[in-house]
Amino acid sequence: MSAELQQVKTWILKRHPERQDIAGDLDLIENRLIDSLSFVEFVFLLEQASGRTIDMESLEVDHLRTLNIIEARFFGVTVH
Amino acid sequence: MAAGSVPARAPGWANLGMDIVSAARVRQMVDEHGESFLLRMLTEQELADCRTDEGLNLLTVCGRIAAKEAAFKTLRVADRILPWLDIEVHRADGGWPLIELHGRAAQLAQDAGIEGITVSISHDVDYAVAVGAPVLGPAI
Repeated sequence: MSAELQQVKTWILKRHPERQDIAGDLDLIENRLIDSLSFVEFVFLLEQASGRTIDMESLEVDHLRTLNIIEARFFGVTVH
Repeated sequence: MAAGSVPARAPGWANLGMDIVSAARVRQMVDEHGESFLLRMLTEQELADCRTDEGLNLLTVCGRIAAKEAAFKTLRVADRILPWLDIEVHRADGGWPLIELHGRAAQLAQDAGIEGITVSISHDVDYAVAVGAPVLGPAI
């Protein structure tokens, strides 16, 4: 796991102290780890961690659905 | 009849949207990132409308956020990100909120046969709630 993704994971876990870990393929939306309000902060966090602006016009929920997808999409890591 | 079996555009049928926003969460957001962070969700005008002579009224901010969420929920679109700045909340002369749709939000509404969205906002102590209802256009 990249340092950037670890930062993302830590951010989520901080907001959900009842959780010990988050599997890479866990659906963050369906499991309500990110809701619509925290979504805004989450995108901000991804911008900071990736060092680039995220185009909200083209962003889809599926782009942020799991840690694996986020890592591949925003931190340039291919997950096999 | 189960709600799931009702067609989206059945005569007389309107999908409501509702949302609740915690002022504590928004306060934490502002504390961590500053007031300018709210411009990711509110337009400059909306943020200005939330100011009083004593500064930013956080519950008014929460009300605007809840209204946008409630309005978006009436569109019944799955897996789409709320186009925050395309749903604008104004204050009518009478004091009630008015929703103005732009860009993607206007397109989504048009696709759903919705001509406009009406909302109502309320807040107390540490929460703001809003309910939205679509104004349906003629069935296609």
